[in-house]
Amino acid sequence: MNDMLTSRERFGLLVIDEQPDRCNIMPLITSHAATVKGMKLRDYYTNGENMARAQIATVEKYEHDAISIFSEVGIIAEAMGSEFEYPENDLPILRTPVLEKKDIEEIKLPSPRADGRLPVYLEAIEYAYAALGDRIPILAYIPAPFTTAMMLSDPNKFLIQTIREPSRVESIVDRSLAAAIELCYHVIDAGGLPIIVDPLASSSVVSPKTYRQYALPSERKLVDFLHRYDLDIILHICGDTSPILDLLPQTRADLISIDQVNMQQAIDKLSSRVRIIGNYDTSRLAFSTPEDIEAEVRYMVEGALHAKKGYIAATGCEVPIKAPEKNVVAFIDTVKEVGWYWV
Amino acid sequence: MYQDLTPEKISLREWSRQFRMVGDSEIRQFKYYNNDEWGIYLSPPATFMVYGSRQLKKLKFDNSLAALRLWGFTFNESERLFRARQSGKRIIAAMGDLGTVPVIALAFPDCIPFYPDCTWWTPFFNESTVLLDKASELGTPEASCFVRSTLAAFHKMAYFPKPDILFASTGASCDDYSCIMQMVEDMGYELNWLEIPFRRQRRSLHVPEEHTVAESGFEYPKRFETYLVDEYKRVWQKMEALTGTGDLEDLNASIEKNNRIRRLVNEIKDLTQTAAVAPFPALEMMIIEFGNLYGYADIDEWLDILKMIKQTIADRVEKGIGVLASDAVPLAWVTPTADPLLLNIVEDLGGRIVATEYVINQALTTIEEGIEPFHALARSFMNASLIGSTEERVRQIARGVDSGKIAGVIITNMLGCSHCAMETRLIEEKLKNVPVLAIDIPAPLGITAQLRTRITAFIEMLR
Amino acid sequence: MNLIGYACSYIPVEILSATGLHPYRLLHGAFDLSKEGERFVRVDACPMVKSNLAHVIKNQAKFAALIGSTGCDMSRRMFDILAEHTKIPVYVVNIPRTDNPAIYNDEIDWLAKQLEHFTHKELIAEMITDEISKWEARRARLRSIDIKRAAHPSLISTTDFHKLMSGYHKGALSDEITQHQDPTDKPRVYLLGSAITYEANHILQLIEEKLRIVGDFNCGLSRPLGIRIKEQSIDGVKKAYYDQAPCVYKRPHQRYYEFIKAETVRLGCTGIIAWTLDYCDVHEFELQKIENVLNLPVLRIRSDFSFQGLSQLKTRIEAFTEMLCTRI
Repeated sequence: MNDMLTSRERFGLLVIDEQPDRCNIMPLITSHAATVKGMKLRDYYTNGENMARAQIATVEKYEHDAISIFSEVGIIAEAMGSEFEYPENDLPILRTPVLEKKDIEEIKLPSPRADGRLPVYLEAIEYAYAALGDRIPILAYIPAPFTTAMMLSDPNKFLIQTIREPSRVESIVDRSLAAAIELCYHVIDAGGLPIIVDPLASSSVVSPKTYRQYALPSERKLVDFLHRYDLDIILHICGDTSPILDLLPQTRADLISIDQVNMQQAIDKLSSRVRIIGNYDTSRLAFSTPEDIEAEVRYMVEGALHAKKGYIAATGCEVPIKAPEKNVVAFIDTVKEVGWYWV
Repeated sequence: MYQDLTPEKISLREWSRQFRMVGDSEIRQFKYYNNDEWGIYLSPPATFMVYGSRQLKKLKFDNSLAALRLWGFTFNESERLFRARQSGKRIIAAMGDLGTVPVIALAFPDCIPFYPDCTWWTPFFNESTVLLDKASELGTPEASCFVRSTLAAFHKMAYFPKPDILFASTGASCDDYSCIMQMVEDMGYELNWLEIPFRRQRRSLHVPEEHTVAESGFEYPKRFETYLVDEYKRVWQKMEALTGTGDLEDLNASIEKNNRIRRLVNEIKDLTQTAAVAPFPALEMMIIEFGNLYGYADIDEWLDILKMIKQTIADRVEKGIGVLASDAVPLAWVTPTADPLLLNIVEDLGGRIVATEYVINQALTTIEEGIEPFHALARSFMNASLIGSTEERVRQIARGVDSGKIAGVIITNMLGCSHCAMETRLIEEKLKNVPVLAIDIPAPLGITAQLRTRITAFIEMLR
Repeated sequence: MNLIGYACSYIPVEILSATGLHPYRLLHGAFDLSKEGERFVRVDACPMVKSNLAHVIKNQAKFAALIGSTGCDMSRRMFDILAEHTKIPVYVVNIPRTDNPAIYNDEIDWLAKQLEHFTHKELIAEMITDEISKWEARRARLRSIDIKRAAHPSLISTTDFHKLMSGYHKGALSDEITQHQDPTDKPRVYLLGSAITYEANHILQLIEEKLRIVGDFNCGLSRPLGIRIKEQSIDGVKKAYYDQAPCVYKRPHQRYYEFIKAETVRLGCTGIIAWTLDYCDVHEFELQKIENVLNLPVLRIRSDFSFQGLSQLKTRIEAFTEMLCTRI
């Protein structure tokens, strides 16, 4: 069947509880776009126009339903002073967390138009929005406060502090929340729909208790702030979130993106309250064959398509940078074959 | 409590900054269909821009809370219609008549009338050819009115829900729209067609027959009312069949409610157009006028918004403050612009709109109360802008010109629009005492520096 | 000054003629006239409307009255302009677009009354009966010629038939042009769309170099021949005119499609010529549906009456003909 709607129209229907022509397809195609465009990764994440061009080329190639402005979760931390190294063909690497040099009280809130690579992100959003904003959502990934907090610190020390120095962790998270909000103001004005990503709050990284204590409240505050704008907010947490599935609706996010979770379990627990996004295993995109991917994606979509509040077919995490294009195509084409609501 | 700042027109970014001062309780205070879960609509323009209304990045908006409410409410309309359907209300599509059928529909419980016709603004607000391209694909000629985007919206079913019933008015109407409505029917929608008679002026050469006069001063044969009464009774019967109910007292109540809106809008227009300094921008005023068609799918909330706007304007008028310079050149605007940006541009270049003829005169005049309601509706419709002669249409503007209130007139045209093609020259002739600038509305994103230069030169010349 | 101009197939020529005036259908359309008309309207007005405007204004001394109608919006508004720019009395009649015979009957009665008043002449029953006889006879003669056009093989070209019909539209009650038989086995096509104007005969000629138009639904051609007045009275006139094959402007317009589909089958047409004028949206809007409903190849010809692109048109007609021949 041919698409009847643009991606913009399709997503617009989903978030007002209407079934679109087919389910939205939003694999987390972030830095993989550089591969599609034949661009060095450093050129991708240090130049907004490049990032946008790569994303546009990717959407034109795969015809999925979102542009994803993102490279990695350190951007806010970097703008607050953490130092990153930029390998030519890899993602930025955290070298010196700012809290190794300064105390949290000394860290200024970043200026999104000036600090770190935040201007790169904003430029990418503006470029993509000007090019395709009428027909496709421009998703702007916002590192959640807990994840940013860990990128401001030595991660190991930070994790210990979550147990030993809760008030310090809270103040770092609060500062990170303020920075995230400041970034969101600019992201929204640029035309991006913020999607909150909190990979370091995953149960693969921290305990449910730690999640409940630090990550969840800050996610909720960020969601609440964005709800002032009446925006529909996606929360993505990578890895295994099975232990915190029941907690996720407390964030008040409108769409929850899951990774290593049993889809049926997620549907049972969440689908009457939020729209579900997920959750094809991205490693399969890197190492499997189109035939296997087709069978697996078909199974996934058929099981999730009629989730009560709606479903977006996606990968559980970012599409691997070097994933073979034919595999990504197999994923998208399969959803386009089986993911129809209007017949 | 949020306090309005000194009036001015501000950008989307400035609104975003200002929105930080709006409290959560104020945001929650305003809701459509009185629903707390999804009925909240007070958002800055940036929200709707994020969802694809790209032109909002370029537009300037009034900086009052009342204006913010107006924008939030009107931009939420598409969602509102879907929510109405989800909550069991019936969706009534009225097409072509611009102002009367919704009054009947609103007499029935839980019926939400709307005009698919208003989709003609969407390509401009979105700076997008998505709908126009789809319309072409569906067979509409490229040199036809932008209202062809309505057809695409029916096809896509993503801009409003499938209506429970559709009323389409034809006859002395514009050809393009009549064709669009026919194509909607060909798509499988069941249309209920209504006949609109041509409002034939009484002329001295005519054999005398019983004539009557509409509120706007247009004379016409009285029997034409009967034609409309028959049509409106058919609408009533269809609505009764749809809803299983129907009480003419409710129609009287609907007329009364619609009149409250119409009177309020007329007061707002009077206040705005006669103030020493323009208290409210032309773009918002256009949105206000068009709200008379159906209250943007929640007439009670719209009425409340209008009250707030009137208060804001009255306060400004009393203080002698406004959004434009005091020496802005007073202009009349004939035929609404499909591209909202044009209203901003004219004001930015020194113009001020003090009179309008937006082809919806029938929705601006009050409906008589205390007479048989279908006759009242028929008599009200006989004030319609496009069903009579061009001379009648511009009579009001001409009066403003003669009284010295209007220094110049802007007419907007759409390529291929039947009435634009035929009327513009005649309007220019009829308004011979005043300079007239005719502007062809280009396709989305088509406003050029050349057009700005023409407007600049026109306003400079008037100065 | 004895012409009474009108512009719509729903205006009964019998009533106009009964006044003693000479009915003259405004069916002008030529490039130079159209350009002249742009003095009064925008360039994106229909070229036939522009031509009619120019023709009437230039020849206003010849017109005693004008009868407008609400058939198409531009045409209705043309009479606004004529009322402003000439001293010719103008009467505009509501022709309903929906199925509403009551309005039509009232309005024709109104028109008759206006004409009586204007001409100081009572339109008594005998006069109407007389006119019915004359015009029915005229239409019957033309129908018999139309049968030859529709015959297998077609004996009369539409190029010639147009000249005869132009006479009818100009109010002539006798054939001033001798029709000559021209049997042909060229592919048989049906003509739809905007009116073929008095000056557009060359277009038909061009088409018929390769094809034979054996039938049409066209206001400039055989449209009035479907009118058959059975009752010899003004009511009979109204009924016959109201019940004629419905105009494409009618809403809904299913009956129009039923009619033309039946005609294309009856006439054994293998293709359609869809002739539309620039900015004549009502016909432009129909093109896709024509293709879908009639299920025949359609050659779209769009014109502003200029001779520009004529050789290109010739090539297109040739290609279309070849395609039809291949299909046969």
